[in-house]
Amino acid sequence: MSQELPIIVRVEHKFRASPERVFDAWLDPAMIGRFMFGPALRDEEILRIAVDARVGGEFSFFVRRQGQEIDHVGAYLEIDRPRRLVFTWSTADSLPDTSRVTIDIVPAKSTSTGTTLTLVHEISQQWADYADRVEAGWTKMIGALADNVDKSADSTG
Amino acid sequence: METLVALADPTRRRIVELLARGERPVGAIADRFEISAPAISQHLKVLREARLVRVRAEAQSRIYELDPAGFADLDDWLRGIRQFWTTRLVALDRELNRTEPTRKPKKKR
Repeated sequence: MSQELPIIVRVEHKFRASPERVFDAWLDPAMIGRFMFGPALRDEEILRIAVDARVGGEFSFFVRRQGQEIDHVGAYLEIDRPRRLVFTWSTADSLPDTSRVTIDIVPAKSTSTGTTLTLVHEISQQWADYADRVEAGWTKMIGALADNVDKSADSTG
Repeated sequence: METLVALADPTRRRIVELLARGERPVGAIADRFEISAPAISQHLKVLREARLVRVRAEAQSRIYELDPAGFADLDDWLRGIRQFWTTRLVALDRELNRTEPTRKPKKKR
């Protein structure tokens, strides 16, 4: 990947839970079905959550939303429990290395317990090149985000 | 995402960076690059269609400037991705607290 990755989205969140518990959730199909996808987040049905939790292993989060089936796929690039998790991320039909998510987990500085998670989503130029192919999937996913805004605002704090 | 496709090209990104410092006549843009004027025109066309730049005629020259519309599109799109992950982090936090709400925190290492 010699090309620069010009588009970066970064989010941070503080958890009361330990770094280990925060980390493990990302590789646990049962947890993924509760915080990443499914009825807890919006009106969607989980068809399959498959996780091959090793470097080079792939995942598939397959859901049905408003009659449309969407597969979110990727591969794990780095698994360093409980500090770091890196994976590619895309919806089906796009290339597997089109965007990359890096999750860094550190014990919270200010308190003796708790965890700070930083998630960086890099969208590469390769992604942009294939934007036409994946646009439908992303538009769908992002379009549905509006539904979640209120929900998440309610539960913040 | 037309805006991203437009920005995927390094020359077009440099044109945007140049115009971020102020509007310029088309000739002044072309002067900054070692590629042909038609090639620059083509890049400007892509940027116009993505609403990242806009052009107006003034005297004999065409003046280019950044167009806020395309940047608003990009901002909305990025905001959507940010919101996607923020929503999930909040859900994860809620789930971790729900599944183990009362256990005593571990001693500091």
